Amino acid sequence: MKTHKLRSWKAAVVLAVAAAAVAVWATTSLAASGAVKPVKVAIMTDCKGAFAFGYEEDIGGAQGAFARFAGGVTKSHAKPSAGMTGIKAGQTPIQIVGYGCGNDTVPLAVTETKRLMEKLNADVEIGPLSGDEAVYTANYAKAHPTKVFIIGTAGSQDPTMQIHPNNMFRYHGDGAQWNAGIGEIAYKKLGWRKAAIIEDDYSFGWTSAAGMIADFCAVGGDIVKRVFAPLNTTDYAPFVRQLPPPNQVDGYFSTIGGTGTSAMLKAFEQAYGKPEPKQWIGNLFFGFLGADKVVAPKFVGSYVGGFGNAPGVHTPTMDAYRAFMNKLYPKLPADDGFVYNYYMAAWALVQGLQKAPGATGAKLDAALPRAIKGAPFQLSGGGVLHLDSRRQAIQDEYQLQLVKNPDGSVGPTVVAYVPTVDQSFGGLFTPSSPPPGRTQPPCKKVVTPWQGKIQVVTNGKVTTQVIK
Amino acid sequence: MNPASWTRRQQVERTIAAVALVLVIIWPAAGFSSYWTHQILIETFLFGIAASSLIFLSAYGGMVSLAQTALFGIAGIILGNIATKGGPGGTSKGLHLGWDPTLALIVAIVGTTIIGLIGGAVASRSTGIYFLMITLTYSVIATYTLGQVTKISGFSGIGGINRYTPGWIGNLLAHPNRLYYIALGTAIVVYVLIRLVIRTPFGISLQGVRDEPIRMSSLGYAVPLHRTLAFGFAAFIAALAGVLYAWWAGQVAPGDVDLPQTISLLIMAVIGGLIRIEGAWVGAFAFIIMQNYITSNTHVPLLGFGGTLFGGSFNTIIGIIFLVIVVVSPDGLMGLWGRIFETRHRPDTGESPPTPAAEPAN
Amino acid sequence: MSALSARIPDRERVSSWLTWRRLPVFLTFLLIALALAYILFITTVEPFTGGNWRTTTFGSAVHDPKDFLKIVLDSLTFASALFIVASGFALIFGLMRTVNMAHGAFYLLAGYIAYEVQQGMTGQGFSLDSSQVNTWEWLVPLLVAAPCIMVVGLVVQQAFLRWNQGQELRQALITIAVSVIVADQIIAHFPRNVSQGQRFGGNAVDLTWPGWTDRFVNLHVAGVQYSLARLVVLAIGVAVGVGLWLWLYRTKTGMKIRAGVDDEQMTSALGINIQVTFAITFAVGCGLAALGAVVWASQSNISSGQDGQWLLNSLVVVIVGGMGSIFGAAAGAILFGFVANFSASYLPTTGSDCCTQYSTIFTFVLIAFVLSFRPRGLFGREA
Repeated sequence: MKTHKLRSWKAAVVLAVAAAAVAVWATTSLAASGAVKPVKVAIMTDCKGAFAFGYEEDIGGAQGAFARFAGGVTKSHAKPSAGMTGIKAGQTPIQIVGYGCGNDTVPLAVTETKRLMEKLNADVEIGPLSGDEAVYTANYAKAHPTKVFIIGTAGSQDPTMQIHPNNMFRYHGDGAQWNAGIGEIAYKKLGWRKAAIIEDDYSFGWTSAAGMIADFCAVGGDIVKRVFAPLNTTDYAPFVRQLPPPNQVDGYFSTIGGTGTSAMLKAFEQAYGKPEPKQWIGNLFFGFLGADKVVAPKFVGSYVGGFGNAPGVHTPTMDAYRAFMNKLYPKLPADDGFVYNYYMAAWALVQGLQKAPGATGAKLDAALPRAIKGAPFQLSGGGVLHLDSRRQAIQDEYQLQLVKNPDGSVGPTVVAYVPTVDQSFGGLFTPSSPPPGRTQPPCKKVVTPWQGKIQVVTNGKVTTQVIK
Repeated sequence: MNPASWTRRQQVERTIAAVALVLVIIWPAAGFSSYWTHQILIETFLFGIAASSLIFLSAYGGMVSLAQTALFGIAGIILGNIATKGGPGGTSKGLHLGWDPTLALIVAIVGTTIIGLIGGAVASRSTGIYFLMITLTYSVIATYTLGQVTKISGFSGIGGINRYTPGWIGNLLAHPNRLYYIALGTAIVVYVLIRLVIRTPFGISLQGVRDEPIRMSSLGYAVPLHRTLAFGFAAFIAALAGVLYAWWAGQVAPGDVDLPQTISLLIMAVIGGLIRIEGAWVGAFAFIIMQNYITSNTHVPLLGFGGTLFGGSFNTIIGIIFLVIVVVSPDGLMGLWGRIFETRHRPDTGESPPTPAAEPAN
Repeated sequence: MSALSARIPDRERVSSWLTWRRLPVFLTFLLIALALAYILFITTVEPFTGGNWRTTTFGSAVHDPKDFLKIVLDSLTFASALFIVASGFALIFGLMRTVNMAHGAFYLLAGYIAYEVQQGMTGQGFSLDSSQVNTWEWLVPLLVAAPCIMVVGLVVQQAFLRWNQGQELRQALITIAVSVIVADQIIAHFPRNVSQGQRFGGNAVDLTWPGWTDRFVNLHVAGVQYSLARLVVLAIGVAVGVGLWLWLYRTKTGMKIRAGVDDEQMTSALGINIQVTFAITFAVGCGLAALGAVVWASQSNISSGQDGQWLLNSLVVVIVGGMGSIFGAAAGAILFGFVANFSASYLPTTGSDCCTQYSTIFTFVLIAFVLSFRPRGLFGREA
């Protein structure tokens, strides 16, 4: 009796498993596709962690370019991630196969990238959002030459400088480039000679600081002290106390990130008294990503580093871009790097596919534009954005100042235009130099390509007056 | 191994295990979903190995360790530093020692085991929550060391490790199925190894130390030594998982050893069941399925605030599932499974209850 | 006994002290003495051209007593904030042997609730200047957030922890699950009272101290001017400590709690309703987490991710100080606060690459060191 039951048990289990296996195999078998093969695109961004709010902004930016240049129709004007249909770049249909959801760390980038590129079989990835994820994606790109990667808005230097795979493109500046010019402004306009810098002891903190330090030291300034606060510091007081007191330096640079900016500044206030706006220069965390309400009110008059776009400047191209984005996705800030950088990436893809219909892999690498005409926030060369030999953008940058608007709010507005900033800062950063770190770059006097060419911007208009 | 003497539960289990094993072995050749081959199943195997190190310590050593993820990451980092090369075509971070990959593999595993032995020695006098705490401290130290000591890692970690595999494995990027079989084989070896170890005199005295440390100590057994060796063995297993992960993902970063990842491994082990080694792979499989399929199907009708449960994300769902499992069955899925068979043993059916000798060591 | 000691010659008594087993103790004292000597006398100021193992940012305490005193006060005030949050954890752990891994999540929730209330009262927008906040507008958020968290904590305790009393691992796992859920829900629903693009996602917001704390106090010692806000944190911490001591040692409920800590079964057998005592203790523990959140969010900020941070802080303080006694929590808080702040200030600066940014690693290595020699914490009892 017992053995009989056992045999039927066994049989039943085997049959059930076999049936399940057949079902799985059936659902995953591929169907034949139609005429002009659509190119499959995945948009990789963050929906968790420090940059969770970037999800809708990034997707919205990319889909904005698809809507403007490839006839895409959005499913929802309020929520870009609802999807978009009808995208056709020339003769090539573009199919968005999925949105990646990272959390600013590598492990989730690993699983999401594999899910997008291997399970959903995307040909092109637009993304990722953050620096460390981009370093992983660059290594992944090197191992998968048949896929194409266009960086979304990551600011790390490595992907295009040290790793530089042939199938990876970046149509915006890195974290150091965004701050180009701010150091020179500090030296010439504010008269700073000796400065201290407080950074997040983290890759983006170092990269952002590299731009400030390189620029400031290039014109002759001296960084007398570099202080690094580890991530997740609960109490910023001991780090802030390591900064020299306000009467011993001319100014302070800061690249402390979003979750610590206000905490660090409060600690500074409790250690040294109310901060003097002309003695502080922050990176984009002082003016963007919500800082306009948290940090900016106390620092009206401070200069802040840019994000590659130009809030407050009006040219026909810029305004056309803003108008289009505001109409398509009214809730998104068109003048935010998260939106704009993904827009540029998607636009580049459309141009590449218009040139080479249906191309993927190496053919698409060759077809992607090395120069984009009419880039909204580019003014140099008649508004053309060029890529360098490692497929990294040479971008015009805008440095800003926090001002009080007529309606009482405080926000960044452009005060300086820095033309054609390249990733190497005039040879300071090379593929064989280490990526930005605590001692990289050293404080050296060099000639950056934009030295002495920074133009003053007043009332939203770029003047011919140069900052001396 | 006499099938006639197996209990009911063992019969069913071993049948299912045999079928699953056959299925998993033929999977790549049979042409089933390659996403499952290259992602879900490989992840199940290697995270199952890592979870089995945790379950080994908890089930047979009585120590719940939160340091297994850290050891897992350390193995990957050591491998990355030693095997990868710098310069053009190389990777951008790490020491770039560029040694022979087989030697690098051995050093990574041996090195992590030694670190585990040292850590175990330091923690050997602690039990319960204090042991948990000290292993959590190790995890935090590992996270910050991997992040801040840029010479050996840095925040984006070391990448491109899967380009430097030993010759006898070959190019994993060109032949991705090889990693599948290596991971499967390692998982089987680890399972058999653990089952063997717990039957050795060391294993049995370890279980004695788990149950009655004072009595064992008075009998002359060196209790801290047993705990240290157990921790070292668990470190060895975690190192195997770490090396496999480094080859699969290609990149090992501080994000692989931080607190959320540590909690994830704990969740995997608890869902499977902290009492049985088989639970490691069951729990890992359940967690990875949920992680892969819930994030992409995030709309739960009736309960969304426009998103998943009450506006939350995958984490809310996994948290609720975890809560339900711990409340209903603290021994996880394997505990539930065991209870199904316990309730079937009614005195009037004439079926004999399982004899202790035939039960898997528990 | 005295007759016995009279027969042992002095030489032997001394040598019986100097055994190998006491070596770790001697080493520890030696290391502490070395560290103190380094900070107080040995170190020199790092010159702009770079440093070596002897140099630090501030130099020795003898050379620069002003900065030394400020750092001591920083450590004390930070320890005070740690104590407020950790005492709640210690209370729950000490009485109920429950490791409340959701303590950090309750902290985070309290911080965000308090922020919403403060914004609702002052209605100015994101970040307020101290001058815009008066004392009442700081107290009311606290008085709203604390009871909210106490209710949430009570619900969790009654639903999930009451019926499995004694199963420590299970309770730890249950509270981990609760913390994962609560943390994720916080990200989905907070912050609310901010500009459109920044809503939800657990973005960083901060509370603001009342305006009168925004000044320096002259301490009349070495000419040091110190922030009044930080001294207020210290005052609150001391008040919490005194209040807890009075409650535990001078009231009937406190007596029941202490009895329950010593011997739960006996206490219950004596007819004391131990379940009510547990509920009260858990609620008070959560309330302390809320107080700590309001205090530290005013001092710094509140953002997602801090739940893990503060859970870790509480765990370390309570375990290092010693199994769930208030005195142990205070000792652990002082040790942790001082080591964290002093290592961030007085680790050698050999140049930009080392070493104060490694203060977190240093602190945790030291904690592992302490736990390896005193597994039950500095002042823990052998249970």
